Amino acid sequence: MRPDSEPGPASNAADPGLLFDLAPLALLALSPDWRITKTSALFLADWGVSVTDCVGEELLPFVAAQLRPTRPTQLAQLTTSIDDALAARAERSTGPISTSYGASWRARIIPIFRQDELLSIILEWHDGLGSPVETDFGKSGFSTDEAFRLLVQNVKDYAICLLDPRGHIITWNAGAELLQGYTRDEIIGKHFSVFYGKADLDIKKPQVELDICIREGRIEDEGWRCRKDGSQFWADIVMTTVYKDGLHVGFGIVTRDLTERKSAESRLIAAYEESEKLKSDFLANMSHEIRTPMHGMLAACALLLDTALTTKQREMVGVMEESGQVLLQVIDDILDYSKLTSGNFSMQSGLVGVTGIITSMVRSLRDTSAPAVHFELFLDPDLPRSVQGDPLRYRQILQNLVSNAAKFTDKGSIRVAASVESEDDSGYTILTEVTDTGIGIPEDAAANLFTPFTQFDGTTTKRYKGTGLGLSIAKSLAELMDGRIGYRPNPDRQGSVFWFTAHFKKIQTLEGMQERRTTMALEGNSGEPPPPRSNEVDSDLLAEIQAASPTKHMLVVEDNLINQKVMVGMLRALSFQHIELASNGLDAVKMVRRKPAAYDMVLMDISMPVMDGNKAAREIRAAGILLPIVAMTAHALKGDRERCLEHGMNDYIAKPVDKKLLVRLLVKWLLRTTDYRKNHEERLAELQRYRQDMGQALTPSMEGQPFSCQVPDGIGTPGSPSSPGPFSAGFVPPKGFDDLPDGPAGHTEFTTDKSAHSTTNKAGPALAERPRFTQASTPIRLSDRAMRQAQDEDKVAGRSVSGESVATETSGDGNRA
Amino acid sequence: MATATARISNRDEQDVDEMSETPDFGDHVDNTIFSQLLEMDDDDERDFSGPLVENFFEQADETFVNMDLALTKKDLEELSKLGHFLKGSSSTLGFNKIRDSCQIIQQYGHKLNVDGSDEKDEKVCLTKIEAAIQVAKVDKKELEKLMNDFFGKAK
Repeated sequence: MRPDSEPGPASNAADPGLLFDLAPLALLALSPDWRITKTSALFLADWGVSVTDCVGEELLPFVAAQLRPTRPTQLAQLTTSIDDALAARAERSTGPISTSYGASWRARIIPIFRQDELLSIILEWHDGLGSPVETDFGKSGFSTDEAFRLLVQNVKDYAICLLDPRGHIITWNAGAELLQGYTRDEIIGKHFSVFYGKADLDIKKPQVELDICIREGRIEDEGWRCRKDGSQFWADIVMTTVYKDGLHVGFGIVTRDLTERKSAESRLIAAYEESEKLKSDFLANMSHEIRTPMHGMLAACALLLDTALTTKQREMVGVMEESGQVLLQVIDDILDYSKLTSGNFSMQSGLVGVTGIITSMVRSLRDTSAPAVHFELFLDPDLPRSVQGDPLRYRQILQNLVSNAAKFTDKGSIRVAASVESEDDSGYTILTEVTDTGIGIPEDAAANLFTPFTQFDGTTTKRYKGTGLGLSIAKSLAELMDGRIGYRPNPDRQGSVFWFTAHFKKIQTLEGMQERRTTMALEGNSGEPPPPRSNEVDSDLLAEIQAASPTKHMLVVEDNLINQKVMVGMLRALSFQHIELASNGLDAVKMVRRKPAAYDMVLMDISMPVMDGNKAAREIRAAGILLPIVAMTAHALKGDRERCLEHGMNDYIAKPVDKKLLVRLLVKWLLRTTDYRKNHEERLAELQRYRQDMGQALTPSMEGQPFSCQVPDGIGTPGSPSSPGPFSAGFVPPKGFDDLPDGPAGHTEFTTDKSAHSTTNKAGPALAERPRFTQASTPIRLSDRAMRQAQDEDKVAGRSVSGESVATETSGDGNRA
Repeated sequence: MATATARISNRDEQDVDEMSETPDFGDHVDNTIFSQLLEMDDDDERDFSGPLVENFFEQADETFVNMDLALTKKDLEELSKLGHFLKGSSSTLGFNKIRDSCQIIQQYGHKLNVDGSDEKDEKVCLTKIEAAIQVAKVDKKELEKLMNDFFGKAK
């Protein structure tokens, strides 16, 4: 102890020096330049140093000398803390600093300023193991209890309250007030169930929670809670049972407002779903984009394979094709899968011929599968011939199961069986099973068979390529068809049984549908009876046409090479020798105009490039050529047949051309009709006589073009009168022969030469009975009769084309002049 | 389950009897029409029908290539024309399944459903057409094999 020690150069302390020396604290006083100016007695004792060891020394070298072991970081920390305290002009504490005695010290640094002038720095050393927080806290003058109470009271982000054992609120903090809107005074004493909504109250949730909390010690809950103003917030709640000295005194509740997080979550989910949808859409679009050029490539490969190639080239093209097919399958699968998952998959409604689909598929697979595999087909006789549903999708499921079976079966058999599982008034549920003797499915893999992107065995993936999507697609498709899909092991031996059901509607329409050979609804002809199909050509007609055909000149207008060949083949078979071909309407018009009297008949396709058949017919008529033109229609649309008559054609025959009908048509237009080349003047004279009968004079303007074609839609010779007069309307398809109530049609009952007479006789009254003809204008009837008259004239004149047959015709209505 | 029909055919018994001289091509071929073609052969050499059918398959392949091209260009009008074109020859030969697919292609090329109602969504039309082309290709392949067998035997 050195009570008389001299004050430091910067110290103005006198008496306080003694107090400093005797204080029950380990103190060091420093000059502004960090030299030690004073120590307390306790410091010297604690650190085990003498006054001469430290007073007058610089702090850092002094402390550095005391450090055991030498720890530069501790020294640096001390320096930083002092700097910090000086800068902040506030006290700071350091971390522990170890001295040579194995002891550890923390320094509390107190800078002392007079205005801006640093007077001194006091370091107060404490045992380094003690907690500075506790010290600080203690220094604030709070008791621990009080500190906690303050803390809880002031926390604003959490609503914290305490309940008594029955659930009445006994404490309320600032957070609770903010969150739930009640002030402390309002809520104390109320039951905590006021925070719950009606739905929760109905199920007695508050009480249930208390009960559970007592039993379990705590309970967590998330849900909507009510504020004072009735609004709701999404709360995350932790409730804890509170005990004091082993006695249950109540419950603590901590509530957090998660409304923000909740809405963020739902936004996140919405965003996720949206992105999923975008992803699926993208996939669907991309797959489409990828698939299209793939098709082009594969088609080119297939064509290439059909050309002359060296063995090596063939091998390589083969690889290209096979890889392309595999890639295409992968793309198809992904496309289907993404469509199915994005809900963009639509089912079609068409006719489904289940037996047809199965047989054709088995047939095609039988050709490609391992030779040691035997295919069996079991079709329940009760299976309906056709039903209503989506044939492509049914086919797709079946294809998947059957080709899977083929893929995994090297030898043995693959059996496809179909039967009616159930039937009601409106439909059938059809069960289709595919049983194979292949490698089978391990028991543990069976559960995941229909999960996307799984193949049951990683090792087989190498050998059996695929996306692992097939079965999951099949499953989705079956579900879309109100069906199920499943697997079981083959009960007889090694292998699998895959089955699925699909619901189909019964066909409600005509029974005739059952008889239709095609499963596709062909438009247009649904209401018409199918054309009579028979190879039995009337032998008399056949003989007649074969006798006449060698002298007849035919023009076949058809763009499709195959159809050309077939038509030529048919005509040749009927002994025609003069057949010319045109592959579009324009060529046909040119040929006919060049040789306006050369052809006896034109067989005209409708839809052709460059110029279609209808336009060609109009042009031929516009040239004043009355050559019989028979349309060959694919009758794609209702009304097409009638339309071709409007364009100036005489008749039509359905494609594919039936030989029997063709023979009838040829007889009709080559042998039963007045030759269009008949002398104009002669015809004109006939017509003139006819008109004189009607007491009318022929206008000079008409004389030059007596046989212009004036077809019902007003298309005719350019310059002809726009309103059809009695003569300009003169051309109509000759009706005398068979224009009976069904109108001109290849399929109407044909009248043979034997009944030709009666036909002519019937024509008058039959026409009169038909509304559209009774309403027809006079000119049409006039010309009709005029034409018949012309025919009569032929007979009289002995110019009959076919001799006897026409000779049987007589003037039925006695209108001859 | 009654398992009676193991015969790979869904044609009428009657049809089969009636066409006893023509082979059974299942639902691929309308035998009435096809037998008309066979009748055009001078004798059993199949000099007319054989090359004709061969030509048809060539035509079909070409048309498929053109269809795929048109599909790439999303040219519905062209697809419709091509559908109509191949429909013409397939129907002439009685190749019903190919014809039906071509009909679908033609319809959707016109932006019509098979039942004739409007289908405004071009994407749908293209997808349907694409599917129909696929079916047609598969059917063509199957049919070609059947025909090869048939004409091979005839020779």
